[in-house]
Amino acid sequence: MDEKIVTIRTGFTEALPLAIAIAAYGLSYGVLATQANFSLAGTVAMSLLVFSGSVQMVAVAMLTTGASLTGVLFTSILLNLRNLLYGAALAEGLAPAKNWKWLLAFGVSDEPFVLGVSRFTKYGPDPLYFGTITGTFYAAWTLSSLIGALIGNQIDPQRWGLDLAFPITFIALIIPSLKGKPVIATALTAVVIASGLEYLMPGNEFTIIITGILSPLAGLYLNRRSQNA
Amino acid sequence: MLNYWILIGLLAVSTYISRIIGIEIMAGREMNATLRLYFNYVPIGIISALIIKQILVPMDGQLVISFPVLIGCLSTAITIKVLKMFLPSVMIGAILGWLARYCMS
Repeated sequence: MDEKIVTIRTGFTEALPLAIAIAAYGLSYGVLATQANFSLAGTVAMSLLVFSGSVQMVAVAMLTTGASLTGVLFTSILLNLRNLLYGAALAEGLAPAKNWKWLLAFGVSDEPFVLGVSRFTKYGPDPLYFGTITGTFYAAWTLSSLIGALIGNQIDPQRWGLDLAFPITFIALIIPSLKGKPVIATALTAVVIASGLEYLMPGNEFTIIITGILSPLAGLYLNRRSQNA
Repeated sequence: MLNYWILIGLLAVSTYISRIIGIEIMAGREMNATLRLYFNYVPIGIISALIIKQILVPMDGQLVISFPVLIGCLSTAITIKVLKMFLPSVMIGAILGWLARYCMS
């Protein structure tokens, strides 16, 4: 029992900095959705049912520019391809949850993935931890979406530096894991690929999935080379 | 408005399916060693891409470097390398990034 409480407490503590960043984005989403003529109920329902910052942000941004529903859906499917990679990487860590996996699957997205993989690597499978961080993020995302929709465009996340929380937190998570040539090569290759894609197509939404698929090949190559040496 | 509700429903279903497929297909199955290694490296690639997308910001069709984000990231990287403490590193990075934005505005 004590162990479960410790796990929940750890999950909550580790999720909190990212939850603040998520809340900042949730506020932005709420404001944007209002501008895209979503009702208050629609704005919050999307957060409750979809629970995906990138998909929701892109959806409302596309609708604002007059995109069709088919176009929005197609783009969201492409964006969601990375969830296949996330789910595959998380599968082993969530395996003990059995049927609860169907509920925990709802948390397969950028931030729970980062924390979840980090936890599973250190301590092995831990569905309770994953459930805790997902619940924390879910609460932060839905509540901030509601607040964002209620206050409209009164808050500028950039002015308060809230947008800095995302990259800074990711840096703090990734730096300690950069050990060994294959891992470092993967990271450097990812930086090159992502920068190149952004340079060629600024602001495109496929940089993450393409980089996620290609950059690990550099790590695999170096790993194989060191084994053959 | 009805169209928006249909869209919300479709987005919810397609997003959930993408989430459960990875977990259900891979769970409890023996994975090829190379594939397992590949998936071990995937997080590093994706997190790196997420960071780059925050540092390189599209503006008027061109790509510009967000120096506040870059300074925040660099200071966080150095701090966590030295201190090896998560929260203080995030806080230092956030403060320095915010100061950089304040000074540059």
